Amino acid sequence: MLLNHLNPSIKALTVCILVVHLAFVFEPMTVFLFLIWTIAATFIFGKVNWKKYVLYFLPFFIFAIGMLWTTIAFADTSEHTNKVINMLGLTLPLDSFLVALALSLRILNVAALSLMFIFTTNMVDFILSLIQQLKLPPKIAYGVLAGYRFLPMMKDEIKIIHAAHQVRGVSQGKSLKDKFSKYKRFAIPLLASAIRKAERTAVAMESKGFTGDRNRTFYRQFFVTKRDLILPGILLFGFWGAWFL
Amino acid sequence: MSLMVEVKQFTLKFESNPKGDTLSNLNFRLNHGESLLLLGPSGCGKSTLTYCLNGLYPRELDGEVHGEIVINGKTATAYRPGEISQQVGVVFQDPETQFCMLTVEDEVAFGLENIGIPHEYMEEKINHVLELVQLLAFKKSAISSLSGGQKQRLALACILALEPSLLILDEPTANLDPIATKDVIQTIQSIQEKTNCSLIIIEHQLDGWTELTNRCLLLNRNGEIFYDGDLRNAIACRLEELEEQGIWLPKVTQYFLKNRPQTERELPLTVGEINPFSLFESKSVNTASIPSEAGLPYVKASHISWKVEQQPIIHDISLTLYHGEFIAIVGANGSGKTSFSRILAGIQRPTKGSVSIKDRKIGSWKESQLREEIGYVFQNPEHQFIANTVYEEIAFSLRLKMETEATVKEKVQAVLETCGLLHLQHEHPYTLSQGQKRRLSVATMIVDDQPFLLLDEPTFGQDASSNAQLMGLLQGRYKSGATIAMVTHDMELIHDYATRVLVLHKGRLVADLAPAELWAQPIEKLHDWQLALPIQVQIQNCLKKEGDYAAQSS
Repeated sequence: MLLNHLNPSIKALTVCILVVHLAFVFEPMTVFLFLIWTIAATFIFGKVNWKKYVLYFLPFFIFAIGMLWTTIAFADTSEHTNKVINMLGLTLPLDSFLVALALSLRILNVAALSLMFIFTTNMVDFILSLIQQLKLPPKIAYGVLAGYRFLPMMKDEIKIIHAAHQVRGVSQGKSLKDKFSKYKRFAIPLLASAIRKAERTAVAMESKGFTGDRNRTFYRQFFVTKRDLILPGILLFGFWGAWFL
Repeated sequence: MSLMVEVKQFTLKFESNPKGDTLSNLNFRLNHGESLLLLGPSGCGKSTLTYCLNGLYPRELDGEVHGEIVINGKTATAYRPGEISQQVGVVFQDPETQFCMLTVEDEVAFGLENIGIPHEYMEEKINHVLELVQLLAFKKSAISSLSGGQKQRLALACILALEPSLLILDEPTANLDPIATKDVIQTIQSIQEKTNCSLIIIEHQLDGWTELTNRCLLLNRNGEIFYDGDLRNAIACRLEELEEQGIWLPKVTQYFLKNRPQTERELPLTVGEINPFSLFESKSVNTASIPSEAGLPYVKASHISWKVEQQPIIHDISLTLYHGEFIAIVGANGSGKTSFSRILAGIQRPTKGSVSIKDRKIGSWKESQLREEIGYVFQNPEHQFIANTVYEEIAFSLRLKMETEATVKEKVQAVLETCGLLHLQHEHPYTLSQGQKRRLSVATMIVDDQPFLLLDEPTFGQDASSNAQLMGLLQGRYKSGATIAMVTHDMELIHDYATRVLVLHKGRLVADLAPAELWAQPIEKLHDWQLALPIQVQIQNCLKKEGDYAAQSS
């Protein structure tokens, strides 16, 4: 389970660097090979639920197909009209097809890299590592963490407010205008309680000695070890390998 | 003994409230290792004082302060931000909003990280404080999986980890079931014995705390201290003021005052202090059993179950409620009381089974008809507010029914009158006090004269006077023939008002009986359901035991 245990910041940096690399490649074969390399690495070195992975990948796939089609359909008229490719009963100029393919494969590849990161990284670990390795100010980092806790609470609260208003006999809104005014009515109690909660959390954090100062110790420490360089190594090797092939 | 806290001529004024001081001319001292109960009506500035003691005010205050607060020999304002947290630890109300991490150990570690405890000592300290609050087994658990009582103890652990010499607890047992409340109080007691820290406890419900300390500091509505000293003495000499300010007395004391107002003896504060030989004819308690043929069947639930993400919340409950019952729904935190009441009200659809009202399935009722039949008061009154003024809030449902403006006005005035909100009719609902908000939310539900009223913990966090007003309101509804069902943790309330009690335990209906029958259950069983006996019953039992003893020995 190498991927799940790697330093999250290094993992994030690796993904960013590779995305930049990908932006300079216009050759479909390279991108395709690297895509396979990335997905293989995700499953070989990471503990990933493949069903969930496929589910998350699907929207990107659809998006990529759409991209492929639009790029071909709206491509400039080709200069090399003699080179064509026959596909699905259509005759397409080869070079515009290749550019379109590279573009959509690039989307898939960026998606694969991001999913690799998302599926193997714990959100809290990532933020803690951002503070420790990349010097993110604790004020922002812990704010984000506290906010992260708030999301499910707010979701529950919307449900309750909805029920509470229903009991009052507020119309459930059939037309678009009714629906809009319904959400406007939700906004005040929701905001009021969110502000109050946020204030309480802030006060509580402060009275536990939180000042936003960078000078703090860590219970969960993150270090960069040699092991963390393996992933960027493997992926970069794959990328350059695909490039020269 | 050395001084822990010294407050000298302290006055605080908010910019938003230029008329009066929120805290005015406070003077008191607290020694190391001493404990203090801080009492006062809602909105008297107790929480504001807490903010001042832990250095948050005046730093974050929009307003001005005069006077001085000295913590451990140093002015509170002279501490650097964050530094004072090692002197004064505050556990605020509502533990849920005090956490900023996802797991128990991370949350405790957060405080330690802030004050720069080196990594190698953290593990040991975390284990130590979790041990103190008996949460060690949950070290790796997600905070969201803890029960209400556990969350409260975790909040305490986080503060204890900082080893403050003064611990301030702001309503630490609000909204906990009776057994969890006892647990928290015991935990705090043992912590004080072990660490010898000073304690300031802010509470509405005094029971259980009086064993910890006798000293109390009483604040009135103007934010002035009107008494500082022994609670017993305060009850003996300043009873009128206490009642006028709406400060709760211990339930045992209330009972004695009610039954024996002219006593020369000292009033007891706990059940243990009752001297049986000073006792009197005990009044008979509410012994009504469920009237078998009381009314007509009204609400019928058959085999209802409710699951959330495969987690069963309600498990196969069947019952019939009759017209003219006053029902209490009780059980531990998280036993499914609220969910059950929502299903009864037709707000939540059960995954299995059905609820019918007047022999008609809820599903076949029109939403608007259903709402004329059932009123439901949510735990947080603000969730139900829709309009911009108190008047409009109540008029809302009448207007929905297309009543004429004259009738609306007449009805609204009448309801506001009964709820004691008439003078506030032009205010915005959000600006009311906690007790007023609660009454308003009840008012919006009774203006339609719904024959069935469900309430979710209506008495939570209120001072004595607003509680009495609210219960008066409900009693009035009940007398006029309404059926009432109420989710509550308050055993006294059940004893005084309910005609029938439904006990939920882990989503199952484990008992359905009259209050008197419930109190006759073996104590282990009640403990298992996280219930405690109401004080009145405890006193009665105590008397009975002494009576038996006297009869035997003579």
